[in-house]
Amino acid sequence: MSDQTHMPAGHDLAPGDEEQHSVGARILGYVVGLALALLLTATSFFIAGTDLVWQPSIPVALIVLAIAQMGVHLVFFLHITTGPDNTNNVLALAFGLLVVFLVVGGTVWIMAHLNANMPPMDQIMPMRR
Amino acid sequence: MAMTTTAGRAHADPHHIGLVIEHPGPASKRIVTAYGFWVFLLSDIVMFSCFFAAYAVLAGQTAGGPKGSEIFEPRNVAIETVCLLLSSFTCGMASIAADVRNRFWFYLGMAVTCGLGVVFLIIEFREFADLVSRGYGPSRSAFLTAFFSLVGCHGLHVSAGVLWLLTMVAQVFAKGFRADILRRMMCFALFWHALDIIWVAVFSVVYLLGSGA
Amino acid sequence: MPAVRTVEAMMLGKLDWSAIPFDQPIPLIAGAVVLVGILGVLIWVVVKGHLPYLWHEWITSVDHKRIGVMYILLASVMLLRGGSDAIMMRIQQAVAFQSQGYLPPEHYNQIFSAHGTIMIFFVAMPFVIGLMNLIVPLQLGVRDVAFPTLNSVGFWLTATGALLVNLSLVIGEFARTGWLAFPPLSELSYSPGVGVDYYAWSLQISGIGTLVAGINLVTTVLKLRTKGMNYLRMPMFCWTTLASNLLIVAAFPILTATLAMLLLDRYLGFHFFTNEAGGNVMMFMNLIWAWGHPEVYILVLPAFGIFSEVVSTFSGKALFGYRSMVLATMAICVISFMVWLHHFFTMGAGPDVNAIFGIASMIIAIPTGVKIYNWLFTMYGGRIRFETPMLWSIGFMVTFIIGGLTGVLVAVPPADFMLHNSMFLVAHFHNVIIGGVLFGAFAGFEYWFPKAFGFRLDDRWGKLAFWFTFLGFYVTFVPLYVVGMLGMTRRMQHYDVAAWRPWMLVAAAGMAVLTIGVICQIMQLVVSIRNREALRDRTGDPWDGRSLEWATSSPPPVFNFAFNPDVRGEDAYWDMKARAQQQSLEHGGPEYQDIEMPRNSPTGFVCAFFATIMGFALIWHIWWMVILGGIGAFATFVVFAWRDHDEYVIPAEEVAAIDRVNLEERRSLVSMAGAV
Repeated sequence: MSDQTHMPAGHDLAPGDEEQHSVGARILGYVVGLALALLLTATSFFIAGTDLVWQPSIPVALIVLAIAQMGVHLVFFLHITTGPDNTNNVLALAFGLLVVFLVVGGTVWIMAHLNANMPPMDQIMPMRR
Repeated sequence: MAMTTTAGRAHADPHHIGLVIEHPGPASKRIVTAYGFWVFLLSDIVMFSCFFAAYAVLAGQTAGGPKGSEIFEPRNVAIETVCLLLSSFTCGMASIAADVRNRFWFYLGMAVTCGLGVVFLIIEFREFADLVSRGYGPSRSAFLTAFFSLVGCHGLHVSAGVLWLLTMVAQVFAKGFRADILRRMMCFALFWHALDIIWVAVFSVVYLLGSGA
Repeated sequence: MPAVRTVEAMMLGKLDWSAIPFDQPIPLIAGAVVLVGILGVLIWVVVKGHLPYLWHEWITSVDHKRIGVMYILLASVMLLRGGSDAIMMRIQQAVAFQSQGYLPPEHYNQIFSAHGTIMIFFVAMPFVIGLMNLIVPLQLGVRDVAFPTLNSVGFWLTATGALLVNLSLVIGEFARTGWLAFPPLSELSYSPGVGVDYYAWSLQISGIGTLVAGINLVTTVLKLRTKGMNYLRMPMFCWTTLASNLLIVAAFPILTATLAMLLLDRYLGFHFFTNEAGGNVMMFMNLIWAWGHPEVYILVLPAFGIFSEVVSTFSGKALFGYRSMVLATMAICVISFMVWLHHFFTMGAGPDVNAIFGIASMIIAIPTGVKIYNWLFTMYGGRIRFETPMLWSIGFMVTFIIGGLTGVLVAVPPADFMLHNSMFLVAHFHNVIIGGVLFGAFAGFEYWFPKAFGFRLDDRWGKLAFWFTFLGFYVTFVPLYVVGMLGMTRRMQHYDVAAWRPWMLVAAAGMAVLTIGVICQIMQLVVSIRNREALRDRTGDPWDGRSLEWATSSPPPVFNFAFNPDVRGEDAYWDMKARAQQQSLEHGGPEYQDIEMPRNSPTGFVCAFFATIMGFALIWHIWWMVILGGIGAFATFVVFAWRDHDEYVIPAEEVAAIDRVNLEERRSLVSMAGAV
């Protein structure tokens, strides 16, 4: 956003591109990503179907696992890093995520509160009689 | 002209503080293309977020129809998930093969990716057809409306991806690994990986959270 | 007989002769006049032999300047259409006191729906996108936008949307649901006709066009800047373009999704927004405004950028508080996504939700206020030249402050409960959209017209147009504030309250003044084209400008700059002029090089052709045609992908010849100025 943060000016990477590695190293990156993603997926499916863990924690655990897996995909498949050559890619991603959270969070919050000016249901019912 | 009177006061950069690194000029075509596509993907994800929001709001509105836990088949979802995950991996292999201009591995990677994508689509289609035949189509309740739209929207993206994949293979077959075709291949890989990320959200939020409820 | 009918239904869907409104003289005559006009122009073009020129130089052009001009042309034509709707509404409300007026309700409802839809999507949007397209690559010192062919696709898809909306005038009907088509009224049970389908499909198609333009301009600003054009040296207009297009990219998918849900409800019996089966109408309000509020800033941010350029140029000073301006722009960009509930304060949310969104809505006035002060301080102590663009800018500042203040008023939830859906609200958003966006578009039009066409616009007619529009605006819309306070709600086809009558008559008179303003604007174009030799801009820098678009000739050559400029600071061209004076513009024989430019392509036009077919077929349920259009679109995509040569080369000698002419002109003028 300022001249100073534009340090890597001479050096920029396309989203999805990675620093020049050998083919072997690149394949290894995908293999690690696949292994981690499979592990996280398996954990998600296991937790959803099990009664070994405290039940109310399941939704939270599932969401945490999903976010972790998205992170794995971003890092190992899309090669998004925090490096200076990725500044623009990460900023765009951050803006997109901000909007996603505002839209989903805002919608859920707003829609849950839309009946605030209605009398509670148990007061309406007696009135109907 | 007024400039003669004020020009003397013009200065290079009145605000510049410390070291200023000069911008080197326009980026390369590869970066420009991929960045544009990256921005498109983010906008696509925002579109999905609306369907997710609608699902979150309408998930409880079953209108006397079935709940999620009554219609979801975790085994199918697991197979679908593994298909997409593996296809993401093979798509990555195909992009590496394209970068080193190895036709054999490129075709193989793309063929496997395509196969896995088609298997995913077939399973999803059969799930939908089964639900509709049981009378649980999208018109049954707001919950099913939101479910069919969200999952169907992802399915449509996968279908478009398969079509694009075939076009991509045809281009490489006819024209080889030209720079512009490699740029498109990079965009395709981004698209395919992004679909997998969205699927992670779909199976977690819709299927796993839904079958628990 | 039934067999015939089913074949007909297969071939024509819902379309039959009853679709043409033979019983309604107004749309039929209007449609006929437009049709005759279009046919006349087409015949004239063909007979005069201009068709090849139009095809090669404009329709298939991927040059950002040409596409920008076509966007602005589309916007201007649509402004006349939307303006006619406005005139009809003002007359109706002036005469429909204790009577039905001259417009039956179903027609009146179509008119206010079409007016809003057209003015936002097909006037304001293409006007600002056109100006951004035209100017931003020049200001950044580059040869074109990031994706030239996609740029053409984006324009033609926008034009497709406009075409479909206008087609509804003669074939079928338009929506009667207001410009946002709220359900349940817009659901199939209450709007069984094709009106809402026309609305939704034209917005879907033009929405894709807008998204493409947004992606293109974001990438252009972030990735294609000339050497030395650091972020904090970009002209303000580039910053506002970045912010506005980031909003497009983030907000338009929400519109696409929302309209897709409405269409699924209408076409396939889904239950997103229905009253039955658990659907939730409020989801539509929520989602459409999550797009709708950022949309307001998508429109007004580029206008802010234009005013920044204009005020700085005509005050002969660098923009005051450049960095605070950048910060304010980006703050608006983010906060605009956090205020959407203020459009439905009255629809049931409790005090906690309303309070937070009310406060957020008031907060967004702060960066806007920062901007106003920055413009005022830019003018302070400056040597102000009151040229036409500057008049529009000053008119904007006065008008926009009033509109902004009434905006802060309706951002207070208790006040909004009084004013929601009243004429006060109508007056408020016209106050900000006309006073902000339209004045900005006109300022930009006057300011950059010489850059696009090589001659200035006539000053006298321009000033007349400004004063009539400015006065007409106040005479039209101040009465609407008053009747709003007197309790008049919006969208009334007739009314029985005597107290409102005089104000409606005044508003109608104001509309007449506004119309004179528009006529002056048209006269200005005619007179300027006639006197173009006298108004010719030979230097490429008619206003003594400060940013890079003035560093090239007017109109710029197809490659914009023979050499990509090397930028050393803010106000890049001002800086260059200052340095050039010391060096008496000595270049020392630069080495010209071949330039590669993108080749023209009919892709955009062909895409739009198939999009029109598909849109029309979807509206009328003609399924075979939908499939045909889909296959055509995919085939276009493949053919485009199969191209081998997408660029052509302009040889160095040609570049040199073009550039030297421009340099000579400039040198002679600068030396003359130096002598004075």
